[in-house]
Amino acid sequence: MTKVLAARSLTKRFPGVVALREVTFELRAGEIHALCGENGAGKSTLIKLLAGIHPHGSYEGTLEVDGGPAEFGSIREAEAAGIAVITQEFALVDALSVAENIFLGREPKRGWRVDWLEMNRRAKILLAEFGLALDPETPVGRLGIGQKQLVEILRAVDKRTRILVLDEPTAALTQQEVAVLAEQLRKLRARGTACIYISHKLEEVFALADRITVLRDGASVCTLVASETTAKDVIRHMVGRELGELFPDRVTPAKDGVPPLLRVQNLEVTAPSRGNADLHGISFELHAGEVLGIGGLMGAGRTELLLHLFGAWGQRRRGNVWLAGRPHDDATPRRSIARGLVLATEDRRRHGLVLGQTVGFNLSLASLDAFTRGGLLDATAEFTRNREFFSALRVKAPDLAACVGSLSGGNQQKVVLGKALMTAPQVVMIDEPTRGIDVGAKAEIYALIRRLTNEGKAVLLVSSELPELMGLSDRILMLNRGTVGGTFTRGGFQPEMLLAAAMGRAA
Amino acid sequence: MSENMPTPGRIRHLAMPLALAGIVVFFATRESAFLGPRNLTQLLVEFSITGTLALGMFMILLTGQIDLAAGSGVGLIGGIAAVLVFQQGWPAPLALAAGLVAAILLWTLMGALIVRQRIPAFIITLGGLLVLKGMFWLTIQNTTVPVARGDQDNLYSLLTTYYVPKPMGLILAAGLAALLAGLAQRRRRERLANGIPEPSLNRARAITAIQSAGILAVAVVCNLFRGLPVPLLILAGTAGAVHFLTRHTPFGRHLYAIGGNEEAAVLAGIEVNRVLIGAFALMGVAVALTGFMTTAYAGASTTTVGDLMELDAIAACVIGGTALKGGRGTVTGVIFGALIMAALLNGMTLLAVSPEVKFIARGVVLALAVWMDVRLGARE
Repeated sequence: MTKVLAARSLTKRFPGVVALREVTFELRAGEIHALCGENGAGKSTLIKLLAGIHPHGSYEGTLEVDGGPAEFGSIREAEAAGIAVITQEFALVDALSVAENIFLGREPKRGWRVDWLEMNRRAKILLAEFGLALDPETPVGRLGIGQKQLVEILRAVDKRTRILVLDEPTAALTQQEVAVLAEQLRKLRARGTACIYISHKLEEVFALADRITVLRDGASVCTLVASETTAKDVIRHMVGRELGELFPDRVTPAKDGVPPLLRVQNLEVTAPSRGNADLHGISFELHAGEVLGIGGLMGAGRTELLLHLFGAWGQRRRGNVWLAGRPHDDATPRRSIARGLVLATEDRRRHGLVLGQTVGFNLSLASLDAFTRGGLLDATAEFTRNREFFSALRVKAPDLAACVGSLSGGNQQKVVLGKALMTAPQVVMIDEPTRGIDVGAKAEIYALIRRLTNEGKAVLLVSSELPELMGLSDRILMLNRGTVGGTFTRGGFQPEMLLAAAMGRAA
Repeated sequence: MSENMPTPGRIRHLAMPLALAGIVVFFATRESAFLGPRNLTQLLVEFSITGTLALGMFMILLTGQIDLAAGSGVGLIGGIAAVLVFQQGWPAPLALAAGLVAAILLWTLMGALIVRQRIPAFIITLGGLLVLKGMFWLTIQNTTVPVARGDQDNLYSLLTTYYVPKPMGLILAAGLAALLAGLAQRRRRERLANGIPEPSLNRARAITAIQSAGILAVAVVCNLFRGLPVPLLILAGTAGAVHFLTRHTPFGRHLYAIGGNEEAAVLAGIEVNRVLIGAFALMGVAVALTGFMTTAYAGASTTTVGDLMELDAIAACVIGGTALKGGRGTVTGVIFGALIMAALLNGMTLLAVSPEVKFIARGVVLALAVWMDVRLGARE
């Protein structure tokens, strides 16, 4: 079969991180080629390179399309070469019809006017070709997620796309919608379209893909023929790495007879909108001096669980939460903080920090009550406390008056943690503490977490990185689509088993 | 506390005094009466009126919201008080208190609608602009309602006709200057004792000197005419209160946090809804004070009182460096912005510029200010 796309020794660096190292990858006409790897393995970066989002010149190595060199300077150039990327965030206009969306920017015209008849006629043919019972004049806003995805695919087909890239296409789809999508993809394959398929769901990968390429830590590990391998093998390749020396030694404290600081029993929580996981039957206990790791794949409900305990997400259907022995079912962020439960958020830029303000403003933001005397802020006490945290966390910034938005990711993360810790919490929930920060800052943050448990605080840690979870946690709870996929205790952590629990398979 | 506020654009710091100086020179060279004590006193009254409303608007803008109903509210609240005094024969203090309560209730209601029903402030207050205007005209029955019966002065009319006796005015000004200097010195000593970096002593002294000279100069100029006008005292009180609220209370910090990143504010345990309603309730107070002063300045409540004042207030804030998207701004900036707006409007009136051209000039200034805000905001 003919090669339509070849990537040779692709290396992509970001400040402080190598996202792709020497990745080699080959795509043939008429195949569905799955890309597998943990979160952060480099899948998204590779796709962005193929799609021209990271333009030629910003990476090393070569890309070839149809045997000739491809040097995409923009998304438009990649599209012109026949590459279309469909992500979870749709590029559709809800208010426009199915036909208008398919031909968006390429409307058939008669003179200078849009030729509506022709547009709808061609849309109808396209829909019929794929056996879809959709009216071309339906506004896209009225379609379900699965149907929207199909509209995107049709648009790609009409553009004479020869390389279709699907990034987690089934994350929000129902079983039935997944089946329809799979059928359409097989039709495309029969027409000779090459398809790159990224999914965490291995059963889908094995049902659809001809070949599987595994990425790990930014490198391409191997390419396997789907019919000649097993899910277990793929998981082994995805994980196969050793734990570094990054993590401080750890002895799990004895907890006989001591009541837990946080107790969660049989939580049932409904998500505020579709596309987020509901939480089902979640129970656990967290003791003083302990780190409970929460793992799972994207969309498993890890962040949602933390936000819910904090009082900022979801509608509780059933279940109870106790904080230091007292009921904590009426949680709001304010009450949580007052009772000693605090959250250091994921995504510092969006949820964590007021970026236009200073380091000092952000550090004390959640603790202002502690500096208020008779309704007045005691600026001196506040400054003194800020300075204490500033130096204890070793934030690299000129001073407390520096704008937080100008700091590096690692230092912003330290400010997020400092803000949480200044509230003098008993239980600290930390969501993805090391995403996008360099190794040095990582080690400092790991040491900080260890210091917290040594002080007798309890830590609930969410992380996408298995080594981080295994290195820091005393126990690990793996979530799978909003339910507990498995619980593991230190000493019994095996990456394969953890990942299998996250994917909902008994290993 | 300065370490908790980001350094705003330095260009802006210089631009404001320069623009003000330019405006003053322009009008002074065209009409010598512009710098006369009589006109300066009048300008200070107009500045006080615009400034008081702008200070209320400032707290709303800090949270990233907006209030377009302020101008109509100014007319309505002034009108209510005038009707109570002139037609119902209420004692003026009681009528003013009633107006104040009505304003707080109305603005609390709008604030509650915005946060509870999740309707954008732009829409609620745009509706408010029309509804309050209608209520205003109903209240005064499209007539002219004086703020006092006959020639009897009352608290309402005295708002803009009473002047602080000259010696008293000087004592007040000196007292205020001494108070501010004392506070600054105490703060400086406390911070240095705790090892907090402070600017050099010379710089601190220079700032105090300029501040004191400015305050005394205002008193002296006013004394060349009749003395300190009451609205100036109201503005000083309001500015002090708003500065205090925004800089020295958790409430103020919350205003900045909500405007800067509402999500982060929620997750820091800030009760965003309460803070927003609080900001609107305080806006009600500013609207009432402005309504009383404007109506008293006009001598009577008429249908045009308060027209477009919300735009002058927004312009004053934005000229003074308040970000329209929230999270940035200072009281000092707003005061400067209000001074620039008042000088422009007063100068144009003095030169007998036609209303048509005045409208255009106001619009251009507002657009320019917002353009500057967007430009400087994009650079951050």
